[in-house]
Amino acid sequence: MTRRALIGVVTMLVFVMGIAYAVRIAAVDGSRLLFDSAWWMVFATPFVGMLAAAFTKRRDPRVEGSRVLRHDDAAIVEHWTHGVGTAVLLGSGIALGFLFVPRLISEQAPVWGAMNIHFVAAIIFLFGTFYYAANTLLAQHRFAEHLPTKNAFTFTVQHYGHLLGVKTCHMPPEDKYFESEKMAYIMALVGSVLIIITGLLKALAHVVDVPGAVMGPANLVHDLASIVMLAFFLAHVFFAAILPASWPVLGSMFTGYVSAEQVKKEHAGWYRRLTATSTRDCDGDDSSEAAKVHVTQLRNS
Amino acid sequence: MSESEDRRLTAVEGGAADKTMSRRGFIASVGGLGLGAFLGGLAVKGFILPDTVIAVPASKGYLLVDTKKCGGCETCMLVCSLAHHGKSNPTLSRIQITRNPFGKFPDDLEQIQCRQCPSPACVDVCPTGAMHVDSANGNVRTVDERKCIGCEKCVYACPFTPSRALWNHEDKHAQKCDLCVDTPHWNEDGGPDGKQACVESCPLRAITFTTQTPIQQEKGYMVNLRNNHWNWLSFDTTDLGREAEFKLPARPAAPSAEASKE
Repeated sequence: MTRRALIGVVTMLVFVMGIAYAVRIAAVDGSRLLFDSAWWMVFATPFVGMLAAAFTKRRDPRVEGSRVLRHDDAAIVEHWTHGVGTAVLLGSGIALGFLFVPRLISEQAPVWGAMNIHFVAAIIFLFGTFYYAANTLLAQHRFAEHLPTKNAFTFTVQHYGHLLGVKTCHMPPEDKYFESEKMAYIMALVGSVLIIITGLLKALAHVVDVPGAVMGPANLVHDLASIVMLAFFLAHVFFAAILPASWPVLGSMFTGYVSAEQVKKEHAGWYRRLTATSTRDCDGDDSSEAAKVHVTQLRNS
Repeated sequence: MSESEDRRLTAVEGGAADKTMSRRGFIASVGGLGLGAFLGGLAVKGFILPDTVIAVPASKGYLLVDTKKCGGCETCMLVCSLAHHGKSNPTLSRIQITRNPFGKFPDDLEQIQCRQCPSPACVDVCPTGAMHVDSANGNVRTVDERKCIGCEKCVYACPFTPSRALWNHEDKHAQKCDLCVDTPHWNEDGGPDGKQACVESCPLRAITFTTQTPIQQEKGYMVNLRNNHWNWLSFDTTDLGREAEFKLPARPAAPSAEASKE
């Protein structure tokens, strides 16, 4: 078993066991609400994510013969912990109801079960997000390649229109991420930041007396940001997993690799950049030559 | 500058550079120190500091209902909903009338009102302090809706059936009788020092309010609101061997024939 598969299996096992425990204690001992009894985990997890990032050795994308390393292990862990956490958070949140979304469950055990599932998902989500944030702080060129360019909006409309078959256009040579993905990234970034700030406030209310004047707006913003995340999540799943055009790249979120042919075809700008710079391993710090060239190119673009 | 001096300066500069914290070192420090400080604080809180015990002051007002007098018209439910939410929706009412079509008087109908318990279980279990004792309004047990996270623990903690803490399905938060402290749609001052919409509107006067601590009995607070009029209709005015304490004038004289003609 490869190291990547081992990490995946262990992470999945932790998540499934957490969910099973959350449901069980809500059903067997109804008085246990994990946000109450294990609130400290919510605040400790961000530090665990940062600590994990500090000890992570990153690998920059590179061409390896007929394939290209698109995502290293850390990126895969970041993506799936954040993504699965978001999905379960949205699911349990919808079951509990918010804003105009009706509460789908009303009995004692299901409500507390959903809240406990929300807790487990929040822990996974927080780990993934803070692991990503700290990794990004260590290698800011990774953040730069997510930022949209000045024509991002036009490209986004054209790209999605092209994918849906309602537009025909010639896209510019795309970088590692499509302009449309970069726009979606901004949406997810804003949604995640708002959800984390307000979510931590909501968790804090289990420990100290947070004034109603703070909790009222926090609840509202949390709910509105959830709508933003839901919109992003649905669009992301559709365009990055369901649409057949996305399948060649979808595999890279599991294996890390995408074929060089696919990169040349869909990400010509990125391929040009990869072949122009050093392809040696680096630890992800901005001091690496590859990173410096990368940032310079992004700025110029 | 001599070669040895140059080497020394280079070494000093190199040392200074070594002491500069890298970005990775900074993140490791924040993560490690933060986690350590957090777990340390948790240990201090859990093993060294004593648990706090909070005494709950008694409510300064109580609703009293006499089920034997209630006609089940649900006027109280409608005005409760109106006063609090501005709409006539019985499911939003904090007082509830339930009927048992197979029950016989007086078990065919029940008025479900919050008893403002001396030791409120709903307040005790609330994880965020949303369900609280409102010391600014006569220690009424009520919900700060902004702080409610919707766990419904209060709903299930209430020792009475059905629960006196209710789930507001429209705004998705818990709610309960606040003795009309927060009635934005009613032009009267509520609370223990004011009026209560259900008391004011009950056409049979089957609901009243007291500032005295009532006596608990199996089906609610001991109260007998029936009066002599009730007796005239041949209904029982006793309750657990007690006569109604309600004071009204004795039965008036029948109207005279002249008065009838007028």
